[in-house]
Amino acid sequence: MKSHVKRQARGSRALFFSATVVGGVLTLSIFAFMVILGLPLFSTHSLTLLLTQKWAPDQGLYGIFSFICGTCAVVSLSLLVAFPLSLGNAILIHLIAPRRLARFLHQVVKMMTGIPTVIYGFVGIFFLVPLVREWFSRGSGMSILSAALLLALLISPTMILVFLESFAAIPVSHIRALEALGGTRRQKLVHVILPGARTGIMTGLLLASGRALGDTMIALMVAGNATAQPESLLDSVRTLTAHIALVMAADFDSIEFKTIFACGIILYLWTAILTLSLRHLHFNSTKPSHDQSF
Amino acid sequence: MKKIIEIKNLSFYYGKQQILDNISAEFAASAITAITGPSGSGKSTFLMTINRLWEELNGATMSGRVSLFLDHEKLDIYGRDVSLSWLRRKVGMVFQIPNPLPMSIYRNLALPLRMAGLPKENFGQKVETALKQAFLWPEVKDRLRDDARTLSGGQQQRLCIARAMILEPAILLLDEPTSSLDEKAAREIESLLLTLKDQCTQLMVSHDQAQVKRVADEVMEMVAGRMS
Repeated sequence: MKSHVKRQARGSRALFFSATVVGGVLTLSIFAFMVILGLPLFSTHSLTLLLTQKWAPDQGLYGIFSFICGTCAVVSLSLLVAFPLSLGNAILIHLIAPRRLARFLHQVVKMMTGIPTVIYGFVGIFFLVPLVREWFSRGSGMSILSAALLLALLISPTMILVFLESFAAIPVSHIRALEALGGTRRQKLVHVILPGARTGIMTGLLLASGRALGDTMIALMVAGNATAQPESLLDSVRTLTAHIALVMAADFDSIEFKTIFACGIILYLWTAILTLSLRHLHFNSTKPSHDQSF
Repeated sequence: MKKIIEIKNLSFYYGKQQILDNISAEFAASAITAITGPSGSGKSTFLMTINRLWEELNGATMSGRVSLFLDHEKLDIYGRDVSLSWLRRKVGMVFQIPNPLPMSIYRNLALPLRMAGLPKENFGQKVETALKQAFLWPEVKDRLRDDARTLSGGQQQRLCIARAMILEPAILLLDEPTSSLDEKAAREIESLLLTLKDQCTQLMVSHDQAQVKRVADEVMEMVAGRMS
């Protein structure tokens, strides 16, 4: 009996170990694949050139810096809009709204996570872009602002759901302790819920930034795809993902085409940093604290 | 006997299930009253009707009247003009399982003062007094910044009692405060409760008959939602 259990445990360990190895090798292979396919580009254009030159293929310039800036601008602004919106919504659903309304809102948020990105893109083109064009009377309306607002709408449900999960994970005993001490709803939020859900809030933020970073459709449909360096929120930009999609649709063997692997490597490293930050956060959140501030 | 709590025709329902059945009772001031009875007889629910903590639960309803005699005045705690925060500062509560908040020992005690809007300058003194009162000061005076969850179970429960007492409540509700502790820690809590008797009235739910004999001035038994 004992040897049977041992054999089973050994089998499970081997299975999980193999799955981990296969997963890891596959992920690293994708990275290696991008580096190898991008080699012709890297042999003629150093990383410095790629990061400093402008994008002008007709002049032999293949700089992707403006795409990195465009991606940063769209992702940061979308997070800036989505974070307070999502936190507020999560607090409303968890703490303030009557039960029925809370349940309804929770369902709506869950449903929103399943809406295809292209639908958001349509809403952007036919509703948001004309609105931005009218409000600011400048440009086509296809801009960092439009893309960021739409992306904020796209990533908010993910953030709200992660926030709600982290709120629900707070031990009831902590909540009861505060209630028994006469804590108001606001005090419960400030002293127990938000500090207790800190890791969950950061996780939601990082997951949402990963989603915003990886989104292609909204950036492609609404950001305008201009290759010039953006100077204001109303400028059109091309994001890294949109660049990959645009070039892939039109080309397959030029140096211009090879730049998509440089974009891919940057996106890969960016996502890896986000993932490692998440792991670091979870690891640190399990340690008891020593309060320096009293 | 000077009474401090008066209950009249108290019934409590959770959904359709009746938990408390038309209870009327009075509790003496500056005494420890033990409430005993089998599991599921409604003892903890009864305690929660005195600080209105049951209102945080979904699907519960209550009828009847609970009055407190504070500062020579009779107060219906379910009256419209009674603030829930004020009531819960006057009626402290300690739970079965110690529940220190995930913050430092000092902040666990300073938080109720902060929430009550008391001046920050007095926090240090009040925290020290509360810890001394709970016989915890010698053990924690050098580690006030440490996470309260690093204390032992008995120390955590004494911290929770100190936290409830720091706001100087008139009544302290104790829901089986020693049931999750070992014999030694339980005895320490019992001694602590006896020293606090002059400062506040205590209502203690307990299953331990020996403990009830050791600390209680009065004993009430609850069976199937009725009190005798």
